Amino acid sequence: MKYKGWLLPPALRDFHEGRIWLKNHTPFHEDDIKRAIERNYFYIKEGIQTIPQIKCNRCQNEEPQQFTHFECSKCQKTCVYCRHCLNMGRISCCTTLLIWRGPQTYKQKQHQFEWAGQFTPLQQQASDEMLESVKRQRNHLVHAVCGAGKTEILFQSVHYALEKGLRVCIATPRTDVVLELFPRFQAVFPKTNIHALYGGAPKQEGYARLVMATTHQLYRFQHAFDLIIVDEADAFPYTFDQTLQTAVQKAKKPESPIIFVTATPSQKLLQQHKRSGYSFIPKRYHNHPLPVPRYSSLWRYENSLNKGKIPLKLQRWIEDRLTRQEPFLIFLPKVALMDIVTPLFQIIHPDILAVHAEDTDRKEKVLKLRNEEIPGLLTTTILERGITIKNVQVAVVGAESSIFTASALIQIAGRVGRNQAYADGDVVFFHHGITVEMDEARATIERSNKEGFPR
Amino acid sequence: MNKNETHCLLCTQPLQLITSWKALLTKQFPPSICEKCLARFERNTSHESTSLYRYNEAMKDFLHQYKFLQDVALAKVFRQELHTHLKHEKATIIPIPMHPEKQKERTFSHMDELLKSAKIPYIQLLEKTTTETQSSKNREERLQTPPLFRLLPDIRVEYKEYLLFDDIQTTGTTLQHATQLLLGAGAENVRIFTLISG
Repeated sequence: MKYKGWLLPPALRDFHEGRIWLKNHTPFHEDDIKRAIERNYFYIKEGIQTIPQIKCNRCQNEEPQQFTHFECSKCQKTCVYCRHCLNMGRISCCTTLLIWRGPQTYKQKQHQFEWAGQFTPLQQQASDEMLESVKRQRNHLVHAVCGAGKTEILFQSVHYALEKGLRVCIATPRTDVVLELFPRFQAVFPKTNIHALYGGAPKQEGYARLVMATTHQLYRFQHAFDLIIVDEADAFPYTFDQTLQTAVQKAKKPESPIIFVTATPSQKLLQQHKRSGYSFIPKRYHNHPLPVPRYSSLWRYENSLNKGKIPLKLQRWIEDRLTRQEPFLIFLPKVALMDIVTPLFQIIHPDILAVHAEDTDRKEKVLKLRNEEIPGLLTTTILERGITIKNVQVAVVGAESSIFTASALIQIAGRVGRNQAYADGDVVFFHHGITVEMDEARATIERSNKEGFPR
Repeated sequence: MNKNETHCLLCTQPLQLITSWKALLTKQFPPSICEKCLARFERNTSHESTSLYRYNEAMKDFLHQYKFLQDVALAKVFRQELHTHLKHEKATIIPIPMHPEKQKERTFSHMDELLKSAKIPYIQLLEKTTTETQSSKNREERLQTPPLFRLLPDIRVEYKEYLLFDDIQTTGTTLQHATQLLLGAGAENVRIFTLISG
């Protein structure tokens, strides 16, 4: 006799648990999905809801401009789809989303923890405070200056949560940050299945107790996590795109806490957390003050650059770096300006390179600077955070431009002096007029130094 | 599908809407993509050409988003150019059809949508017989393909000029099959026109 029953493939459960996934994009066999639906293992939700108002049930987009109506050959009527999350597979009114509600994966509670690093007293305190918040299930903000050693502070709380059998997500707006954090966490939790999710990430097997993801990827989760840590919570586009913030809320279980980690929290974030879970680390792990930016006027720099001349002060600054053999980053406000000035800088030194957001060689160029193969790099704000280069010196040209907000400037200044052996360095804001943002950035850095090193 | 765009359909940057006398008086379509994205497409400038654009990286991205990611809204991207090129066309325009099953899968016919958004009238006389794609075959296989099309039931091919419209032409197998079929059924003349030359 032939066996006619059906056994739930574990891979199907492992994949779908916690996810909200397009039915026609599931990687599993149609027949298995059908059987699972028959057993009521899936909650099925329409892709686009139209009542009371139009909304994409995956990315939570409600902006009418982001929806397109068309005559659909599949459902034979006027259909509508969401353009906001199109890249993840189109959601239209004739598609459905699957949400797992079947049996759950076995909760693995043994997690090897391999970290032998040393905390500074301030790191220890922040780590303990965060753990306390996790235990009490309340939100927490870790406000730590650039180079304070934020990542290490997370280990204790993540370990605690994993041993409790909880599912943890570390989310960040930037793919670069996911790529940097993933190997560090895998080293600390060598036996834990960790997934790194970002646009274009390879397929990863099994059920991940720890997920590192870009905030975009959280569109694809629903009530999945018992703890979410949002790293670099103030980075573009997270603060800018409301749907990403909604995505974080949707991806966690309703009662689960969120931990925000950043060097430059917004006023809103500060106000929300100052009275509850809040840790502040005003100084760097190596116990040296933050380099304070200095101002240098560069009147009508744009005119002279457009005429093919590098202003004398800027030229001197670069020549200084070259003779002292210090690697440098020069931040520029616009790609268009960068295109004009790159050849000018290359007259001073032919190996100076330029990098911007759409540059496919971004990683290689940064690596070249780190390996001292090139003397310096011209960049847009894309390198404002996440990169560490030994003894790097920084100049912002056109610091008065609106793109250089106080938090961007603080992050940029935070690139300097991160290494114990080179704890100081030059941060110069070349400007055509001083802005409030510049003053705010400098005042914030000075305030942190005052708190970190009281007289 | 008839609302005006406030953001570029390709790069999502806000569109600078410049009202000019020309746009106002000549009833041009409002722009759907920004100047920067538009500049990435390469116009086919040679004279007696039968296509509007050359294939390049921007066009590859466009086709991917339009056909593979099923972004129907992108049918608008070339509507002005298509309209300008085809508005005085005397021949009867026939877009290359998709296999009904394929069309159901994609949820729309990408060729029909291009013409619809450019407000160019067209008719359909043909029917695709196979779900195979030409791009999955090599040259030898393409040349030996069995007929790709047949005539729709209950239609008449008249003794007049037809213009076949396809998205991209590489070896021309698809267009050749359609041309032969129409000529054999009594068409006076068949010309071809594509959005992109391969």
